[in-house]
Amino acid sequence: MSLTNPPSTAAGPGSVSAVRNQALKRSVQAAFEDSADRGTGSMGYQSKVRVTDKYKVVGFISSGTYGRVYKALGRHGQTGEFAIKKFKPDKEGEQASYTGISQSAVREMALCSELSHGNVIRLVEIILEDKCIFMVFEYAEHDLLQIIHHHTQNPRHPIPPATIKSIMFQLLNGCQYLHTNWVLHRDLKPANIMVTSGGEVKIGDLGLARLSYKPLHSLYSGDKVVVTIWYRAPELLLGSRHYTPAIDMWAVGCIFAELLSLRPIFKGEEAKMDSKKTVPFQRNQMQKIVDIMGLPTKERWPLLTSMTEYNQLPTLQPPINHSGGHHGHHGHHYQAPRQTGAGVSHLEKWYYNTINQQTSGSGPGSGTSPLSILGAEGYKLLAGLLEYDPEKRLTAAEALQHPFFSTGDPVSANCFEGLKTEYPHRRVSQDDNDIRTSSLPGTKRSGLPDDTLARPVKRAKE
Amino acid sequence: MAANYWESTQRKHWQFTKDDLAGMRQRLDEEDPALVQMFPLPQLRHLNIYFNQQINRLGKRLGVRQQAMATAQVYLKRFYTPPPIRQTNPYLVITTALYLACKMEECPQHIRMLSQEARSLWPSDLHGHDAPRVGECEFSLISEMHSQLIVHQPYRTLLALQDEFALTQDEMSLAWTVINDHYMTDLPLLHPPHVVALTAVLWALVLRPSGNAPGTAGGGNAGAAAAAAGAGGVAMAATALAQAQARAAAIAAGGGAGTPGFGSQGSQQQQQQMGFSQGNSQGDGQAAEPKKATDPRLAKVQRFAAWLADSNIDVEAMVDCTQELISFYECHEQYNDKHTREQITRFIKARSLDK
Repeated sequence: MSLTNPPSTAAGPGSVSAVRNQALKRSVQAAFEDSADRGTGSMGYQSKVRVTDKYKVVGFISSGTYGRVYKALGRHGQTGEFAIKKFKPDKEGEQASYTGISQSAVREMALCSELSHGNVIRLVEIILEDKCIFMVFEYAEHDLLQIIHHHTQNPRHPIPPATIKSIMFQLLNGCQYLHTNWVLHRDLKPANIMVTSGGEVKIGDLGLARLSYKPLHSLYSGDKVVVTIWYRAPELLLGSRHYTPAIDMWAVGCIFAELLSLRPIFKGEEAKMDSKKTVPFQRNQMQKIVDIMGLPTKERWPLLTSMTEYNQLPTLQPPINHSGGHHGHHGHHYQAPRQTGAGVSHLEKWYYNTINQQTSGSGPGSGTSPLSILGAEGYKLLAGLLEYDPEKRLTAAEALQHPFFSTGDPVSANCFEGLKTEYPHRRVSQDDNDIRTSSLPGTKRSGLPDDTLARPVKRAKE
Repeated sequence: MAANYWESTQRKHWQFTKDDLAGMRQRLDEEDPALVQMFPLPQLRHLNIYFNQQINRLGKRLGVRQQAMATAQVYLKRFYTPPPIRQTNPYLVITTALYLACKMEECPQHIRMLSQEARSLWPSDLHGHDAPRVGECEFSLISEMHSQLIVHQPYRTLLALQDEFALTQDEMSLAWTVINDHYMTDLPLLHPPHVVALTAVLWALVLRPSGNAPGTAGGGNAGAAAAAAGAGGVAMAATALAQAQARAAAIAAGGGAGTPGFGSQGSQQQQQQMGFSQGNSQGDGQAAEPKKATDPRLAKVQRFAAWLADSNIDVEAMVDCTQELISFYECHEQYNDKHTREQITRFIKARSLDK
């Protein structure tokens, strides 16, 4: 949603060269020093602090529709490292003018200034300078996307179960804090879950987050599309106008599954909005969910029939019934195959296949997969989070009470506890150039070459 | 945090004492006495009335929701705690505050629409001000407010209390009006939203005139209603507060909880101490009149007082709110729109703040 700041979506390959020409050869430092005019007239805005006086920028981390993130150190003995998010002015390269701060930036500034919790990324300060907004955050060395990616590398090896448990507990803890404060994150996904070198999980990027307490208008009317497609809850895919914190919990379920299997569990393709800006039914994504979860039924989800896209459901393929498939087709009864087992979930099978999978890392004869220790409770938690009916889906508070966390070894507050190896550090590049050229929409980062390009666009904003 | 007032930046950074505010304002004036001398301004309450009206005018043209206008009012108050009014163009600040408040309350307005509307509303004071000026002023606003943009409003508390006190539609709209009016006072910078909301409920309960139409409420000013109900209502409010205080004190002391009732010795004394029964404003000594047991609203007020006593609500703060509102309504009667507008225009023109 951007009445003020049209997002730079769909900047296809065609526009890449244009962007390149605009700003070649600009160092990371320079991105902070392009001050144009300072002080215009009596009401002219002048910043009291300059970001470069206070921080030394050491490199570039990532870019998105909002702008860019840099790594920085304090110049005046501030402890630790910082991530500075720079919201770019509207038209880059041209004479920038004040066009009003985007809704997304306003939300993130306001919410981050209020929030304070160990599992939510900490805002250090905000500096408004030269038509740019700089949000200074505590630095986190890792994020879940990076960690998952690391485990897919030579050879593919699962994330240790204790790490998964700790990550999930901390993630849920952060969610509970957000939700008790009526904050919906609306863009939970591995790339937005930060992890510090001390193993603390921090929910980041509140650019799409908003308060949901007694909204003046329905949440839908504010933002037509929320949550990155793979993590989007079924009620959103089916066009629900009013949604709840349960949409975040679905995303948490997807993240849990991804931590287990190292792949997005529902990896659909996003249908683009047409020229009339009507929101399309995300058939492909819904199909991916149905493939594993079965078709939703009104018996299990009573409000299903009131969903805008309810009539689309019959157009979806029921999941292929691996186990009982044969006699279903052979039998003499004429019941449509759709009726038999269409609503049956294959999640349990998916789960046990995943946790019992022999990975190349464990080698032949090394016994059971390490993940099998997560056992039945792991399945129950996953199923509780990936529940179709948002009213029955686990809340963050309920999930934290789940036996998954109380069985086995106690959950550590450091998700890296007991690990012998250290994850590779966040890649920080010294020069902006390559980033400007690859100004595709979505969360781009240095460091994860191929995988990221396959990831869906951050979120298609209205 | 966001939904919890007690952890909010509002409580931590934007709630002041009266002395704090007076001190800050005095220091401001002392910074540039020549400027203050040259451009006298109306008293702050009148200035606030004027600003409030301007925000409402602009907001209504664009169909902005009440809640966003209320947030804009608070932004204006926060913004003007440090910077001197005479160094700004208040019309630009008002436009910007409303623009930002609409975004924060999730009912955004396009910056160009808003600045156009503002310029047609105040053509001579804002003629040089296009959208980029609003955008620039937004930076000043956010910076002065330290990005603390989430405002806790009494409206929400009021809605939550509706059932608790079985408030009728009339009572609700009267309380709503009192809340609207409190944005013209310093109260949003002095007291938590729930204290303001409870005070508004109390006013609605005691002012709801049995015969007199509370119709004035919708018009946007409870002052008339207050005047209509006269000192009787106000004194009743004071009595209720005193009763609540006495009862709370009794509970705290471990004594017979709930014994001091209406008209009891204890509450009478407290009432005297607070200087209420002296008959504020239009006091005509009829204060004790509505205490006849047959009065149905007495029962409601009593229930309210009992509820207050059992809660941890700062009754002292409610007394203060009540007094502040009374003096505001008194002061409202002397308000002169033309005079206020002219004084603002004088410094805007003289200092070329309209360019």
